[in-house]
Amino acid sequence: MTAAVPTKSLAQWHSPETRAEVIHELIHGVDRYNPTNLPLMEEYLASQVKEGHYDLLANLAILKLYQFNPQHSNPDVIINILLKSLAATVHGPDFNLSLGVLREPLAILHDIESDDESLVVVMPYLQNLHELSRTCQFTKFWAEFNGDSEAANIIRTRYISQFASYIDSLRLIFSTSAASCFSRISLTQLSRWLDLPTDKVGEWARQVGWSVEGETAIIPKNGDNDVKAGVVKENVQLNQLTKLVASAAA
Amino acid sequence: MADPTAFYEPEDDELLSSLAVPAQYQPQNDGDEYKRLQELEQHAYAQQQLMAAEQEQEQLQALEMVPEDVKRFLVLFHQAILENDLPTITNMYESGWNKLSQAHYAQNEWPEAELISPLVGNDQVFLTLYRELYFRHVYAKLQPTIDDRFQSYENICELFNYLLNSEGPVPLDLPIQWLWDMLDEFVYQFSSFAQWRASPKNKADDELEMLAEAQHIWSSYSVLNVLYSLVQKSQINEQLKAEKEGKTPEEVAEIAGEYGSKPLYRNLGYFSLICLLRVHVLLGDPTLALQTMENVDLSGGAFLTRITACHVTTYYHVGCSYMALGRWPDAIKTFISVLIFFIRMKQYHTRSYQYGSITKQCERMYALLAICTTLSPGPSDESIMSIVKEHYGDQLAILQRGGDEAIETFKDLYLSAAPRYLNVNPPPYEDSAALESYLANPPIDAINRHLDLFLSDVAAVKGVSNIRNLLKLYTSIDASKLAAFSATEEDGEEEILQQLMVLKAASRTYAKGSGEGTLLDGERIVTNNLDFTIDGSMVHVEETTSHRRFAGFFIRNAEHAQRVYNTIRSAPLPVQRKPAAPVQTQGAQPNGTAPGQTSAPAKAAWKPKRQVQIAA
Repeated sequence: MTAAVPTKSLAQWHSPETRAEVIHELIHGVDRYNPTNLPLMEEYLASQVKEGHYDLLANLAILKLYQFNPQHSNPDVIINILLKSLAATVHGPDFNLSLGVLREPLAILHDIESDDESLVVVMPYLQNLHELSRTCQFTKFWAEFNGDSEAANIIRTRYISQFASYIDSLRLIFSTSAASCFSRISLTQLSRWLDLPTDKVGEWARQVGWSVEGETAIIPKNGDNDVKAGVVKENVQLNQLTKLVASAAA
Repeated sequence: MADPTAFYEPEDDELLSSLAVPAQYQPQNDGDEYKRLQELEQHAYAQQQLMAAEQEQEQLQALEMVPEDVKRFLVLFHQAILENDLPTITNMYESGWNKLSQAHYAQNEWPEAELISPLVGNDQVFLTLYRELYFRHVYAKLQPTIDDRFQSYENICELFNYLLNSEGPVPLDLPIQWLWDMLDEFVYQFSSFAQWRASPKNKADDELEMLAEAQHIWSSYSVLNVLYSLVQKSQINEQLKAEKEGKTPEEVAEIAGEYGSKPLYRNLGYFSLICLLRVHVLLGDPTLALQTMENVDLSGGAFLTRITACHVTTYYHVGCSYMALGRWPDAIKTFISVLIFFIRMKQYHTRSYQYGSITKQCERMYALLAICTTLSPGPSDESIMSIVKEHYGDQLAILQRGGDEAIETFKDLYLSAAPRYLNVNPPPYEDSAALESYLANPPIDAINRHLDLFLSDVAAVKGVSNIRNLLKLYTSIDASKLAAFSATEEDGEEEILQQLMVLKAASRTYAKGSGEGTLLDGERIVTNNLDFTIDGSMVHVEETTSHRRFAGFFIRNAEHAQRVYNTIRSAPLPVQRKPAAPVQTQGAQPNGTAPGQTSAPAKAAWKPKRQVQIAA
């Protein structure tokens, strides 16, 4: 399990090291518009689902192909992409970027003449989960996630079971959110936010690199949870002075 | 898509197959019938000839009606293009065309290309270029009809077909301003068509029929195909990469190949990258938009800054992409940098016919700045922010107050200033039943879909400014106490801790460093002075203070003083008017030296100008 620390740079976000060279070439060239590449791209998504990797730009390339070739749209793939971006980040733009190239579920289903209308209930449900997650209402998130609604059932039975440790990746990003604020946090609070029973939460904390003292978890300093007041001094760069120096020299 | 010519070829074939054999002509019919048909055909042919002659006569007469200066202009323009005489082409393109448009064609179209073709020796390449200008004029000054839209598309495709699918590079050279305008107009007409096509309401029957038949016209695929073909043909990405690596011009030319080493292709390829940025933004894919620009240098001296319209458009769309990624500081930086540039350039650009649209785009950036600086408050350029306050003071106040009214204002500003997102897929014109149900229950259009996404970004941080203001009052405070101030629900403390996590995230983002890296790269940065840590349930507030900034003020004012000094020094001494001398004598003797003028330096700056005016 990786440590729950906010990532410092976007390099892994736009070109993850798990991306194969052939995929990289594909999404950087014009071949990304070629619908015959869909099976390859969907295969790659399936491997992300199975192995727990994540590649937003490749997934957006699939949605782009659906945008241009609506008749090829595959609701299962769409839902998997949305689930992937939901579990990738709490505050990042990933989920909305995916929605940005999608249309309403009904329009998508109309183009592939599908009778299975689960997409119609699932998409708003996922959107709601995303709103809860990005506003850090984690307790409510889990209540929805584990709830009895039709969409929640579809997601749990038909999709989550395919994913490698989906729930843990949600817990990890929620932990990361907490780690950016807290230097110490009570285990009771954590157990609510991570949907873990109180006797399991300590173990989780140790897995993500925290230590446990009695009823609190201690989170190591990560640059976000140990801020110090500073003083910003003015910093004049030489190139700001080029004009002045030039006219003085003239 | 892999084959850059794919789009054009089937088109040609289709055209040929539909022309080759008239439907009623059937050679296996028996002899008599065949003869009769032949006679009929001959008769028709004779009549056609007659009509053609009449038409020609009419055209000649119509050509007579074309004003003399326009005819002269076209002949010279054609000449200049044949000779690849760039300075003359530039001058005729930038000033001659516009002047004649104003003088003769302010309310109507330029003459049809067929009409003027005798003037230019029926030079098809010139006529294609002429039609490009012709339709651009129609779009700018008049209301384009569906025929205009279709023909303009066919014409521009013909032009790109000529450029891309001739044998070897074509012997043509055009000024960069024209090349930019051409591609800019291409994307503009595409988006204008997509918007027009998106609503089946208020369309005449024949329009509906044409839309049903011609699905490929101005389709997103075909537009992307043209742009990517130009990019590939010119090897522009490889060229830019090689230049960045510091390769010699010879090496770059070798990488560029036989097309890309020609300025015409290189420039078209370069501008195509920027048009791709735009199209991807319009189609709702900001990451792809930024990825397209990965080899393009955006700094102050970059090639794209040589054309103001291109510079402004590029930065506007890059900024909008950053907004969609929630990278507000990058968006702010991008907008501010181009707005500062535009204010400085303003005085030189009042004559350009695009000046109006450039100003409009800048105005939209001021509105977007009001949005971005509200969502990510922090110090930014004072001079630009003062203009934002001047134009959007009321809205800014509402935005910062928060609440439902603020959401309305965010909405209005976004709708007026954000890109006009396009629906990729047209309504089902080909299927009248589907079209009816589409009309009865129209789906949300792209603009409103993106508005909803944007508003969800706004809503996610709506509590942030309140809680930030509250924290400012403390150095440390217990979460339960904070909860008592704001939340009323039972889970008050958990609620407030969650809001604090949102605040934390809203004060962090990724931003492009000053060093290497593409537009998509970014490092995590802190965007607000107010920060905090939570120890259990105790919130410790830390506020970073900044010293007052003096240097910027001194630099600005020292530069200003220098400018004023230079202006004064180079200005001629004021001429003393003799009360007795009438104005006429001054005009009659422009070179007469008035006593006061002898000592003034730098007379040359205005004198020739006056002489020219008098001569004219």
